[in-house]
Order: sequence, then structure tokens, then C-alpha cells
Amino acid sequence: MSDMNPVLRWFHQLGSPPYFDRFATRWAPWGYVLGALVMGWGVYGALFQVPADYQQGDSFRILYIHVPAAWMSLLVFGLMALYSAIALIWRIKLCEILAMACAPIGAAFTVVTLATGSIWGKPMWGTWWDWDPRLTSQLVLLFLYLGVIGLYHAIDDRRTAARAAGLLALVGVVMLPVIRYSVVWWNSLHQGQTIRVFGESSMDPSMLPPLVWMVIGTKFWFAGSLLARARADNLQREAGKDWVRRIAEAGKA
Amino acid sequence: MSYREYVIAAYAVFALMLAWDYIAPRLAIARQLRAARRLAARRAARPARNDRT
Repeated sequence: MSDMNPVLRWFHQLGSPPYFDRFATRWAPWGYVLGALVMGWGVYGALFQVPADYQQGDSFRILYIHVPAAWMSLLVFGLMALYSAIALIWRIKLCEILAMACAPIGAAFTVVTLATGSIWGKPMWGTWWDWDPRLTSQLVLLFLYLGVIGLYHAIDDRRTAARAAGLLALVGVVMLPVIRYSVVWWNSLHQGQTIRVFGESSMDPSMLPPLVWMVIGTKFWFAGSLLARARADNLQREAGKDWVRRIAEAGKA
Repeated sequence: MSYREYVIAAYAVFALMLAWDYIAPRLAIARQLRAARRLAARRAARPARNDRT
């Protein structure tokens, strides 16, 4: 073990529940704080620095939370499916925990996506909701997240529960390209792609910086939340072990 | 409603989600540690196996 590649050794150590608990306790607050600071800067830019859109007026400022939340809803589902695949193939307990910790965060970002899209849609489209391909497929994603959460909590044995819910996450991953290309494949009320990582965006460059900050900030926030939620699940699975008792008696919340 | 009110409503939804996402795991951790303390207290109160025929 001592002559093992240090990165590989760290991954092995991370698989140890007490080691992961220490790691999560240390780094989760950093994720939250960095996420809050970067998103705070992004929100300031979105509300006070960027000019109002010439057609949409101030209502376009909603997109600074709608777009990062939508991207997070897809990214988190992809990550959940990846962790689930690793957990199913190699039976790594930590990956089960991380996969299941992704679900409520992804569901929350999906709710924000649907809610903010709806709030933007009312003044712009004249309706809160439309059974448009993009909106409907995003709603299906929310149901998949809720299905994963429900399945995980419906089975008493945590490992069996994680395997069943992980399988649903893997099947559900087929929704990601459907959501992504729904505006291309079908005649959609939802606008097409505005922001491109490669190639020219149709959004004015003066409006982009707050969006970039929000996209980065949501990633940091997610990391903090993922570690905190995984720590809670790890403690539940290890209940009764000596290391948990020692932490509980030391009062390390 | 004015455009500005729609914007405030959307940002309020986001702030609520972040607040929940911060508080929920902390409550879950506190609950697990409370349960661990209760379990430890129960075990301490139980006589050791050799002291019990």
C-alpha cells in the first residue's frame, strides 16, 4: 500500500467510511461558501450590472438562474448515473452513497428550472405552462429524480435500495439527449440553443459574465451539498460503529 | 404584475431552494449523531455480557 500511486491510494482511503466522513466534514463548508460567494457575485451582475434586454426588458434577468439550474439538472443526473454504474459494476459503497446524494440536489435544481421557466414564461409567452417538448421532457426528468429518491427510501436494506435506484438512474439517462435536442428534433415553443461553449453565442457578450459566474457558482454549491448529504447517509449506514459514536460524543456536527 | 415582480419571484424561488439545500443535510447529520449518542447511552446502560446465568 505504501508504494501505491498517491492518487490511487487517496481513492482507496476515500472508500473508508471514517476517512470519507473526515473528508466531507472538512470540504463541504468550502463548497457552500465558495458557491455562495461566486453565485452572489453572479446575482449582483445579473440584477445590477447587465443592461435590460431590448425586447424582454428586466424579465430576461430570470435566465441567470434558469439556465445554470437547467444545466445542473442535466449534469447532476449524468453524474448520478455514472456513480450508479460504478456502484453496480464494482460494488463500491461510497459510489452508492454519492449517487443517492445526487438525487435530491438534482431534483431541487429541476424544480428551480421548471419554476423559473414558468415565471419567465408568463410575461413572455402569456402562459405559465405549455406541453412543449422541452418543458415536458424536463418534467419527466423531475419524475425520474423523484422515482430514484422514492425507490431508495422504499427499501429497508440500503445497499439493495441503492442498487435498485441506481438501475433506474441508469435507465433514465436516456432522457438527457432527449431534453438537450428536444428543441432541435421537434417544433418547440422553447427557444433553441443561445449559448455555445464552442462557436459563437447569440447572446450579447456584455450579458455573458454573470451567467458564467452563476454556472461556476452552482458547481461549487453542488460539491458542498453533495459532500454534506453523502456524509449524512454514510453516518446512517455506519450507525452503531465505534467511529460514529466517537464523533457523536465529540459533538462534531 | 410588472416584469420586476416576476424577477423577484424567480430569485426568491432560487433563494428558498438554496436555503433548503443547505439546511436539510445539516439536519440529517444532526439527526444521525443524536441517534448515535442515544445508541451509545443505551449500550453503556446495559450490563456487560460477563456480568449477567
